[in-house]
Amino acid sequence: MLEACVLVTILCGFLGIIFKKNLVMKIISMDIMSTGVIAYYVLIASRAGLYTPIVSTKEVAYADPVPQAVILTAIVIGFSIQALMLVCVMKLAKNNPTLETSVIEKNNTP
Amino acid sequence: MTEITIAWIAAPFFVGFVIYLLPKLDRWLALVIAIFSAAYAINIFLLDSSIDVRLLDNFGVTLLVDRLSGFFIITNALVTAAVICYCWQTRKKAFFYMQLVILHGSVNATFIGADFISLYVALEVISVASFLLITYTRSDRTIWVGLRYLFLSNTAMLFYLIGAVLVYKANNSFAYQGLLNSPPEAIALIFLGLLAKGGIFVSGLWLPLTHSESQTPVSAMLSGVVVKAGVFPMVRCALLLPEIDPIVRFFGVSTALLGVGYAVFEKDTKRMLAFHTISQLGFVLAAPVVAGFYALTHGLVKSALFLIAGVLPSRNFKELQYKPIDNSIWIALVIASFSISGFPLLSGFGAKVLTTKNLLPWQVIAMNIAALGTAISFAKFIFLPHQKPGLRSEMRGKEDGEKKVQAGFWWAMAILLGGLIVANVVYYEAYTVKNLVKPLLTIFIGWGIYLLVIKKLVIKLPRAIEQFDHLIGVMSLSLILLFWTIWARF
Repeated sequence: MLEACVLVTILCGFLGIIFKKNLVMKIISMDIMSTGVIAYYVLIASRAGLYTPIVSTKEVAYADPVPQAVILTAIVIGFSIQALMLVCVMKLAKNNPTLETSVIEKNNTP
Repeated sequence: MTEITIAWIAAPFFVGFVIYLLPKLDRWLALVIAIFSAAYAINIFLLDSSIDVRLLDNFGVTLLVDRLSGFFIITNALVTAAVICYCWQTRKKAFFYMQLVILHGSVNATFIGADFISLYVALEVISVASFLLITYTRSDRTIWVGLRYLFLSNTAMLFYLIGAVLVYKANNSFAYQGLLNSPPEAIALIFLGLLAKGGIFVSGLWLPLTHSESQTPVSAMLSGVVVKAGVFPMVRCALLLPEIDPIVRFFGVSTALLGVGYAVFEKDTKRMLAFHTISQLGFVLAAPVVAGFYALTHGLVKSALFLIAGVLPSRNFKELQYKPIDNSIWIALVIASFSISGFPLLSGFGAKVLTTKNLLPWQVIAMNIAALGTAISFAKFIFLPHQKPGLRSEMRGKEDGEKKVQAGFWWAMAILLGGLIVANVVYYEAYTVKNLVKPLLTIFIGWGIYLLVIKKLVIKLPRAIEQFDHLIGVMSLSLILLFWTIWARF
């Protein structure tokens, strides 16, 4: 059930990238898609258990730390790329105030 | 050797930031890094065995360095060195060299990584660094082209990440070997990311605009080495896992035909070269065993061609027919064009023969057609009018905004074309009568078709598929295609 929800989130993000006309909306859709991917990693990390993997005396089922560590890197990368893209959008907004991709594309392709 | 490997992979990133702190030394430091990489690659060729490095613990970064990586690393080193020479007198800022060095380092990292997450990080650093290089001029057009590139590659990499976690789910490890035990959707998702990143088949149609609208040195870098970062992991997977091999070969053949089909009808020099990159990547993938050597020759030749295209008086082939180019530039252009068409005495010949030998029977006809297409499209360059240097400036004066060729350009040519001639000795067994006849025949037929048919044709292929929305849409279609091919095989 949870897996289905996560996959629907990814799909929603992807469809948003295709169907939204505004560049900012497209970037937000991409963010939704990456949220879905991150959630998927967390979901897979919790296959074995939910407890934080810190050694203690109690016998509990630990969550898998590897996917979590990996996705942390991906979150940082995704966030920096998003920042770069938004700077681009600010620059483009001067000459293309509506920020519709079709218009920007028409103005900027030879 | 492990220590040297780690120092070598970390050096570009460290030096990249040092360049920003010491802007006076920018070019020298960048050149030192390129030479370091070249020396390292030669060292790999001298070693007998491959180097296997496992950093940290079981779940740490794994690196694998062998001859195949050696070929790709030396390509990267030579192209970077040539680009730095080309930019030597152009007053680029320290920022440019910093990004160039970081790009160089991250491309190297993809060539030695052996697990999906190190590969992911390297590919994302490549995206950011090449984006910053593409947008170096800060004009609206370059910003849009860069943004489009960053957006597409990031979306593709999100799919790749899903694939990577599925591999982890099946194997509890991110190593390449785990691909075999993974479900077909994992392979499909990972390959979608790599196809889009490497500019292969329909998911690579973002490439022509990006590579043709960037500045000359940046295009040379992108076409020469950066696309190989997407191709290399596929080659590596195909060699490690025989089950993946037919899929990689299939995409190699289809991208070779697609790229050459566009290249033959293209009227713009830089776009023609960019489409041709798509096609040549097909040759690299078509025979994974010998991919390294082909990638080396293609990297050298394509960056040389892009640098030459930057100093031609026009980008349009029609206009170039009326603007004769200098003899010296024409000779460089002809050497590069001959090599890529597979003319003997240049390493392109050896690479083509070697690839042809390793093709499977079903690939042969398609790859021969692609080779013919290559000969046709490069006839456009070979048959350009040319004349002695002094003549043109006397005839037309200086008001034409003529581009001056700097000494750095010739240094770059010396590195790239010299590399082509030297690399020729790697596979000297290719020189037999039987091997010589076929490429020559292909080239002459290609020239004939060009002079008789293509030169007079005016066909403009639609560019609709290169639109941003379509490119994203095509991504979903190629995902279905990938899933379908892989599912049918497993």
